[in-house]
Parts: sequence; structure tokens; C-alpha cells
Amino acid sequence: MSTKVTINRLATGVPGLDEVLGGGLPEFSFNLIAGPPGCGKTTLAHQMMFALATPERPALFFTVLGEPPLKMLRYQQQFDFFDSEAINHSVRYINLADDTLAGDLDEVLRRIVNEVETHSPALVFVDSFRSVVLASQTQDNPNNNLPQFVQQLGMLMTTWQATTFLIGEYFNETDTNPIFTVADGLIWLRQSVQRNSMVRKMEIMKMRGQPTLPGLHTFRIATSGIKIFAPAVLSPVEAPLEYPLQRLKMGVPQLDEMLGGGLPRGYSLLVAGPSGSGKSILASSFLAEGARNGETGVIAVFEQRPNHSQNATLATLINNGQVGLVDSRTPDLSIDEIVHLLLSEISRLKATRVVIDSLSGFELALAPTFREDFRESLSRMVTALTSVGVSVLMTSELEDRYTDLRFSPYGTAFLTDAIIVQRYIEVESRLLRIMAVVKVRASAHSDELRLYRIDDHGLQIGEMLSDQEGLLGGRPTRRHLGKDDR
Amino acid sequence: MSTLSEESRQIVASLAHRVGPNVDTARIAQAIVSTLQDMNAALTPIIGQQGVVALYRRSLHLCVSVHPRLADTYDSVQAALDLNALKSVLVEQSETDALFFGEVLLTTFYELLTTLIGPSLTARLLRDVWEPSLSDTPSQENSP
Repeated sequence: MSTKVTINRLATGVPGLDEVLGGGLPEFSFNLIAGPPGCGKTTLAHQMMFALATPERPALFFTVLGEPPLKMLRYQQQFDFFDSEAINHSVRYINLADDTLAGDLDEVLRRIVNEVETHSPALVFVDSFRSVVLASQTQDNPNNNLPQFVQQLGMLMTTWQATTFLIGEYFNETDTNPIFTVADGLIWLRQSVQRNSMVRKMEIMKMRGQPTLPGLHTFRIATSGIKIFAPAVLSPVEAPLEYPLQRLKMGVPQLDEMLGGGLPRGYSLLVAGPSGSGKSILASSFLAEGARNGETGVIAVFEQRPNHSQNATLATLINNGQVGLVDSRTPDLSIDEIVHLLLSEISRLKATRVVIDSLSGFELALAPTFREDFRESLSRMVTALTSVGVSVLMTSELEDRYTDLRFSPYGTAFLTDAIIVQRYIEVESRLLRIMAVVKVRASAHSDELRLYRIDDHGLQIGEMLSDQEGLLGGRPTRRHLGKDDR
Repeated sequence: MSTLSEESRQIVASLAHRVGPNVDTARIAQAIVSTLQDMNAALTPIIGQQGVVALYRRSLHLCVSVHPRLADTYDSVQAALDLNALKSVLVEQSETDALFFGEVLLTTFYELLTTLIGPSLTARLLRDVWEPSLSDTPSQENSP
């Protein structure tokens, strides 16, 4: 039997935070929530407080200098988690402004300890701790007793079995601040501004005794409170391909033949082509074919006017609930937020087919700060989606260039398991369309360039233009007939 | 005041209860002051002494601007939350005037807090101020 201490982990009630913390908040830990003004520190504290406080084990919220409590109560009420009935019951506010103004840290500590002994709280918050620090520095004594104060506070709170949060404004994480050393956990909130877009990010710089998720995690503040978009959990071992490959029909029989019998299940497929080549039509026939076979799907549309780009088939599928629509026109999206939206829709509908239309729109929807990492972001999204077993069709706008054969403007072709490319060609003063399957991983596929046209029933694939050559150059010429053909 | 009719009724009832059956100016003054003390006691731990003083001063200011005839009498007490000063002014008024002022001041204070932190939280924080005085035992021993 293990005699090691078991640290309980509290569920914070903040969506995504428990995952980022590595399994919840360690009980009796002494934490610092830091960041510049307006980054959501007080909101985060309140959201956890209302989720965790009970009448038996209440929360004490010490307000020091800084945001006047009257204003804090006024604004925090705007969030759904705020419960007036909890005040003076499971949540107690205690104002320490006068004690702090005097600059006597011993007195502040005495007041805090006194209240903690009276109420035996499970949670203690001190907002804003920065002002305690500043007040102590205005003392005549230049060697202020802050390190000692923090040390004592940390020890006392843990001994009294209280999980503690100090909330403070810190702009520089390299400050040699004694709090950083004493604290068990450091939660850093940031606002990253680029051009005129702003993205909120959270970093767990430190959390003793547990594996936190490293890096910056985006979050939003809505009326429901803070919501953190933790990266999707990927299963460490990907299931190996099973042979024979199970294949999905695309809704275009000739295309299934070209793919070697359909798109292998769990594959990602890139459909690249110029504007108007029928990528979205292919995507909706992919979803419609799924619906015909009793499968559900999800489509993420990143267009400025999604309702205008929908065709009738797709609209019907969405109305019938056979296809879920992820239509986030929220500005400044992060990749984790999009993956989060997609995955929750996939699990809600138990979807097997996913369409992202299009990557170009997706890139525009991302906050500028993420565009530099677009390839990485895309790679993470594809991995996150295929690791839950869905098959993904992505469309990519392709500028028609007749001098080179490109599949996507992002150098992302390697990310996908299969690629279909569409082109325009000029033959006898007509603009014709051709399509080819470029790649299907671990599967034989056609190498033909096939004519196709779009009519009311969708894509109709025709024959090869075997008497023409130079098709990929866009201006094919009639092939010079050899001796054998005469 | 129509939106707070229930609350103002409660405030008026609570004040009358604190005054008790034998109405005189001294009792009225004492009831008003003790109610303010209870409100102060309920709010100071949460919003701080300075917050309560600011609310009190704003309430007095509003009372006087809505009822200009009160201006001459109460201008002198606007400086701070000096309840002794308020009491000494109140005892010089007629019973009707003192009671009227008390009702207006307490209701204004309550309304002001409501505009800032909303009706439910205001009710929650000040519940204990009204409730004991609405019980059967008259509570007249609230003197400082």
C-alpha cells in the first residue's frame, strides 16, 4: 500500500482549465494569478470561487487596494456564474483597504489569519496582491518585510487547509519577486495584440507536483465566464491501418473508381482547385453520400457569408440534423478553439465525415498572430480530427498557374493522406474542367486526367482527353498522330 | 421609486418598528441612526469604510436635491458619516419631518446601492438590517 500523500485535485469549474492544469487544482496549494490589467484575473478567481465554495467550506475574498469592491461586485454580477445568494453564505468578501493603506504588513497578515480562523475557508483569494506589495514599499523601512510576509502567508494558508490565490498585476515574469518562489502555482494571463486583433492567452508557468500542459492556451471571456481552449488530447498510439482498407463513397461513382474504390476511412483528403471548379459541390456530395448511408457529418464553413455559399443539398442536410454546421464568425479564432468547436460537434452527432470549406477562409478567420504558424496549426488540426477516427475533406483555393503543378498555397499537401486536384483548360474556345487523383496513401489509384462538368446533379466525370496533350499547361494541343495511329 | 415599492415599504415598516409604539423625535432619531449603523456594519466589511461613506454622502445629496426644503436643515451633516451630527439635527425637527427624512434617506441609500450592484445582491447584503426588526421583539437597544 502506498504511504505517499494523496493530493486531491479540485475541479475548477472553468471549462478547459482542469486539462491545462494537468488534472485540476491541487488542494491546499498556494497560487498566484498574474497578468496585466484587463486580462481576466479577477474574473478567473470569481469563476473558481463560485464553483468551489460551499457553506461548510466557504471562500474568503479579501479585497485590498485596487479595484473598489463596489465596482467589482457590479461588474462580476454580469457573469452567469455570479450567485447573489452565495454572498455572505458560501462566499465572503472582506475589505482590507484601511489596513493596507497603513502599510503595516503584520497587521494585514493578522487580519487575514483572524478571518481564516473564524470562517475556516476552503478557498482564500487576495485581490490585488500587487497593492499589498506597493503599500509595503512606501514604508520608511526600505528593507520591507514582504518576503517574510509571503512566506508566512503561504505556510499559514496551507496549514489551515485553504487553497489560496494571490491576484496581482505583474508585467514582467522575470521580476525577482519572492512570491514566484514561494508559490506552488503560477497562472499567467496575457493579451496578445497584433494589428487590431487581440487574443487572450493563459500559461501555467508552474504547478508543483503535476504535469501541466505547456505553452500558451487561448481563452475567451463570455457572459458565461472564462473558457479555455485546451489542446485536443491525442492518443499516443495511433491505431494502425487495417487491411483491406474500409472505403467511403464520395457520392461520385467515377471518382470512387479513380480513388481505387473510395476514400479510405479515417483519411484526410485535400481537394485543390481554382475558384468555381466545384470543390464545395464535391464536399457536399461527400456529406450527402454519408447521409444516404446513415452517417452523420460536420461542416466548418469559413466564409464571410456562409448562407450564400450553401447549396440546396447541404442546406437540407443541415436542416435535417444530418450535418452539423460549425459557422464561427467570431473574430480572432485560434486553432484550438476551432478544433474544440469541431470536436464537440463531432461527438454530439457521432459524425464520421468532416468537411472544412475552405482552408483559405480558415486562414482568414484565424487571428493574425496564428497565421505565421498556419502550417503547424493545420497539421495539429488534421491530426486531432483524424485521431478521433473521422474522415476529413478539406478544400483549398488554388490560383490557376499553368507553369507549375501546385496543390495548395500553404505547402500543406504533405499533411493530407489523399489529394484531388482540379484545373481549367482551354479547348476549342471553351473553358473545360479536368480532375485528377494525385495521391492516395497506401492505395492504388488512377493516374488519369478526366474531364468533368457540373450540372444540377452535381459532378459528372467524363472521359480522358486522350487526343490532347499539355493539359496541365492549361492550353492543350492536339497530339501529333504517330505512325501507329495512321 | 415605483420599482422598489416592496423594499421601500419594508424600510418604512422596519423604521416604524424600531421607533416603537411611543413616537417621539428622540426615538425617531435613534431609530434612523441605528438603522444606518446596521447598514454600515453590514456593508463596511465588504466594500470598506470609504465605500460606505461615499454612498452615504451621495444619498444625502440626492435627498436634498429631490426635496430642496431639506437643504437648509441637512446641509451641515453632509461632511462625513457623522451620525452624532445627524442625530443632533434630527432631534430638533418635528416628528413628522424627522420620520419623513429618515424614510427618504434610507430608501435613497437602498436605491443607490441597487443601481450599483443590482436588487438581488443589495437585498442579500442588507437582509439582516431589516429582518431582526421585523421580528416580534421590539429592538430598541440598538443604541451605540
